[in-house]
Amino acid sequence: MITVAITGLGVVSPFGIGTKSFFDGLLSAQSAVRPIASFDASRLPVNHAAEVPVPRIEAAWLAAGLRRKAEDPAMLQAWKAGWFRDRKVAWALLAAQEAWEQAGLRDTDLEIPMSLGLGLEQALLHDFTLIFEQGAIQWCAEPLATLPTVRLRTPVDLTVRALKAVLGLGGQPTLHVSACAAGALAVAHGAALIRRGSTSLVLCGATDAMINPLGLGGMIRLGATSPRNSPEACRPFDRRRDGLAMGEGSAIFVLEAEGHAKARGARVLGRVRGWGSTQDGYRVTAPRPDGAAASRAIRRALDTAGLPPEALDYVNAHGTGTPLNDPAEAQAIHLALGDHAASVPVSSIKGAVGHLMAAAGALELAACLLPFERGFIPGTVHHQQPDPDCPLRVLTAEAVRHDVHFALSNSFGFGGQNASVILEAP
Amino acid sequence: MKRPVAVVGAGAVGPWGLGRRGASTYHDVPRPSRQLHVSHPGVVGFEIPELLPNQDAGDGRQRKLMSQGARLGAIAIRDALLEARWTEGREGTGCFMGVGASGAHMEELPAVLEGSLQDRRFSEAAFGERGLYACNPLFVFQLMHNFSLCHGAILAGIGGPNGAYYSRGGGTWTALEEAIAALEESSCSRVLAGGTDSAHHAVTWAEFRGEGVVDSGLVPSEGAAVLALEREADAPLAWITSVGGGFMAEPPAPDAIFLSAWNPTLLGSLEEALGQHHPGIPVHHGRFGEALAAGPALTWMAGLDLLEQGYDSVLVVAQGVDGQAGHLCLRRHL
Repeated sequence: MITVAITGLGVVSPFGIGTKSFFDGLLSAQSAVRPIASFDASRLPVNHAAEVPVPRIEAAWLAAGLRRKAEDPAMLQAWKAGWFRDRKVAWALLAAQEAWEQAGLRDTDLEIPMSLGLGLEQALLHDFTLIFEQGAIQWCAEPLATLPTVRLRTPVDLTVRALKAVLGLGGQPTLHVSACAAGALAVAHGAALIRRGSTSLVLCGATDAMINPLGLGGMIRLGATSPRNSPEACRPFDRRRDGLAMGEGSAIFVLEAEGHAKARGARVLGRVRGWGSTQDGYRVTAPRPDGAAASRAIRRALDTAGLPPEALDYVNAHGTGTPLNDPAEAQAIHLALGDHAASVPVSSIKGAVGHLMAAAGALELAACLLPFERGFIPGTVHHQQPDPDCPLRVLTAEAVRHDVHFALSNSFGFGGQNASVILEAP
Repeated sequence: MKRPVAVVGAGAVGPWGLGRRGASTYHDVPRPSRQLHVSHPGVVGFEIPELLPNQDAGDGRQRKLMSQGARLGAIAIRDALLEARWTEGREGTGCFMGVGASGAHMEELPAVLEGSLQDRRFSEAAFGERGLYACNPLFVFQLMHNFSLCHGAILAGIGGPNGAYYSRGGGTWTALEEAIAALEESSCSRVLAGGTDSAHHAVTWAEFRGEGVVDSGLVPSEGAAVLALEREADAPLAWITSVGGGFMAEPPAPDAIFLSAWNPTLLGSLEEALGQHHPGIPVHHGRFGEALAAGPALTWMAGLDLLEQGYDSVLVVAQGVDGQAGHLCLRRHL
């Protein structure tokens, strides 16, 4: 069986640009949830979120981050077309650049297949108001309205267009749009392509940036967000939890057949060992409370990894901090892991970095590399009062030094799509 | 593909109505779009006919949470399961779908915009105070792409491995390939694969106009189609012997070809290339417009329809507006 190695990682997170700032942030046990700075959220009932600490993306700044000159034609064209009105495009470019460099890939690798989890298009409400008259959208005025090329909403696949145009990545893309499970499913799919022998190299991961009026507003109207406007908004598995905090960012991996990696002397950061996906098939508005379908995703990941539950040294939970998700996930972990569920350390990083929606699973897989790289499991920021309905060994805020050989990461999405992925230490 | 896969059921809704019969011979003139008549009057295309309540997805309350893509996908999933007679074990049934862009109904938006204006400009403060509360709290469920898969899965109780792939054609071919891979890798023993979408959406149409594809001949359509697949079956509807990108398949030559492309010029080029590769093989054309993520799946139905008209083997080729082509080989018998 072909072993799938991780040879590159790039991260843009609410702690900053780059994997180092992400890992440092997780080790700090601090929350990156803060007052929203990228738009005026002061009148929204929820005005705190975990934004990437770049309130305005400037062309020169982005070009420098991508090792491009400010006058680079592709960058200028993308900027003029309005591509960066959607922040997740910039986050994906920066994360992909870092992953590429870390993996030591070359121009001959530019046709690398891509498997990416993408968040929703961004509705550009400002554009709509320019053609809004007398209580109606004047569609006849739209073609004549003076707007950037990207108008009304950003295309779903804009991130891929940018990766191709700006970074020159030309490989076949697969775009996963499975909401909160998208990132994990994208990484799992990338690993599957390698294990099947379809390719020896894949760029995979996810990006999302829903902290904008309609994105955040939609979550507020659903009742999904915590009403606390404070850094302590999200409290995974805590009995005082009352909702999620939104986050944004990107995590991109280079996955490679391990033989291919070793042949070119690439450093192996870890391995993708197993994966599984299921659907709740339950309700639009809530996860299955018994965790049955989610547990099957975990079991499937263990089966494809060829591991018993006791092999797991760490579980990175989906852990959104919502009233319904956390106990359902606790049930799922117990169903899947049996006796081991009571002792395996569990944490959720959503208290620290918020819920990155489509990018959550990818960023949380990146967090599973923290023990491989630095010997610590990230803690669960704001978990202080355990909930008896979530009987797990949930870590409190401080990172814990722990040997991890196998780590499980769960992602359970809106709509009921579940994904679990197991990583192995290098 | 390691070995042929059995098609044991199919569900579809397209401009010709429910099911697959008539998909290969559907030939009508495009009509004024009902869904675009307010935003873009005069646009002509193909839309599904009116459905009876017992033909439609879920009940009225459930449909309010659905985009058009989600509604059509739910119908196709339901009917594929029905024909396959998969009444039990659905928690292990896989489902892989090509889905489109957000298809939220636009009726909510004017009230949001009205409430968000200050001095005739969008105001984030006004949005926070008023505009936000003008929309239905459940509006977000119409926005999410994956709900075009999830609504149908929830109504049918589907629980196995899954994937929702953004598609303007190519992602739906990926859905079929991943469904087959799920069978080959024993992730499940039964799997659904399909696509669902509608090009009759105001924002989508505005995008197409801006991209120039309307001027290049794109005719909007909509629909959904789903195949029910198993590794073995005694008397399947058909066998899939090949699927993949591009438009050429390995020998043996098919008895018929079904070809669909999003504009007439491309259709002509593909037909010429196929004619050189398979001389003398009759080529049937898709005449139901461009249905984006549903497009390839609707052509699979046309392929099944041709088999049921008497052909032994059919090559289905489709190229969507994203430029990605795919092919599928169907045989009545191995």
